Amino acid sequence: MAHFDNFHSRLVARAKIFLPLASLALLATLFLFARGGETTYDIPYARVDIESLAREQRIDGPTFATVTDDGAELEISAGRARPDPSNKNVVNSTQVRAELRLPDKSAVSMIANDAVIDGPSRIAELSGNVRVQTTTGYAIETDYIAATLNLSKIESPSTVTGQAPSGNISAGSMEISKNEDSGEYLLVFKNRVKLIYQP
Amino acid sequence: QGAEVTFGGLKHDSSLPVEITSDQLSVDQSTGKAIFSGDVLIGQGALRLSATTVEVIYGANDATKISKLIATGGVTFVNGGEAIESQRAVYDIQAATVALSGDVILTQGANALSGQSMIVDLKTGTGRIEGRVKTILQPGQQ
Repeated sequence: MAHFDNFHSRLVARAKIFLPLASLALLATLFLFARGGETTYDIPYARVDIESLAREQRIDGPTFATVTDDGAELEISAGRARPDPSNKNVVNSTQVRAELRLPDKSAVSMIANDAVIDGPSRIAELSGNVRVQTTTGYAIETDYIAATLNLSKIESPSTVTGQAPSGNISAGSMEISKNEDSGEYLLVFKNRVKLIYQP
Repeated sequence: QGAEVTFGGLKHDSSLPVEITSDQLSVDQSTGKAIFSGDVLIGQGALRLSATTVEVIYGANDATKISKLIATGGVTFVNGGEAIESQRAVYDIQAATVALSGDVILTQGANALSGQSMIVDLKTGTGRIEGRVKTILQPGQQ
């Protein structure tokens, strides 16, 4: 190994030995260190408890839509629905919202706590502080209404109270249906109607 | 010819709430037309107007205001001691007038007046009866 007198040449000579060795080491270990472990992200899945869902066959956020014989669209949506344990073609649902759009462009919207939709007898019964709103400006509260699914008919046999466009109104019962001879859709209050108008 | 009649005498306050009761109220969903039917009774203060059907006429620009009530079929209009019967009556709430037509019969105590039509101005408490006016006075009553 030649001896050099000045520092520079010695430095270069040592570098010629160490630098290749360092590069060799670097290259060798390059593939040894993995790029950080593959962290396994947890698979996103709903935290709904599966057993009760399966057991009750519950549906969340269902909507039910139908077109009646006279061309009105009835749409019922609910927060949750489950088939009636005793009778399979009856569906009970809660936080119900229903909308009946009549062919003459008027509409009736209803909100209720719960509903029982009975397929075969084609009736949807809404109960639990029912609110009915019509495009003619009537806002009615009652505790039970029955909506017929195959023809546009909404009936509330129990007392109804609420707001008419011109004042507050109360009646023994109420029905929204198509008047057969005139073909118009009428909202009819029955059994002693009382309207109070403040001029 | 016509006759001027003081009617009701007592001042009628037309800002009192109007209460309409009947057997049935049907509202046409497309036009919003509201018709009371089945012994309809309109009450406001001392005023009573009963008929078989009453149609509600809303204000032209404001659908929450009722401008007229058109009563038809055996109308009886009572205000204070007097009563008027007719076939038809239009109670204009905003103008506080009642226009009765069709064999109007006004009975005031024992006296009776009949004619074809009558306009009652509720604010002044006066009425004007027109068309073949006949008066039937019961002498010796007062």
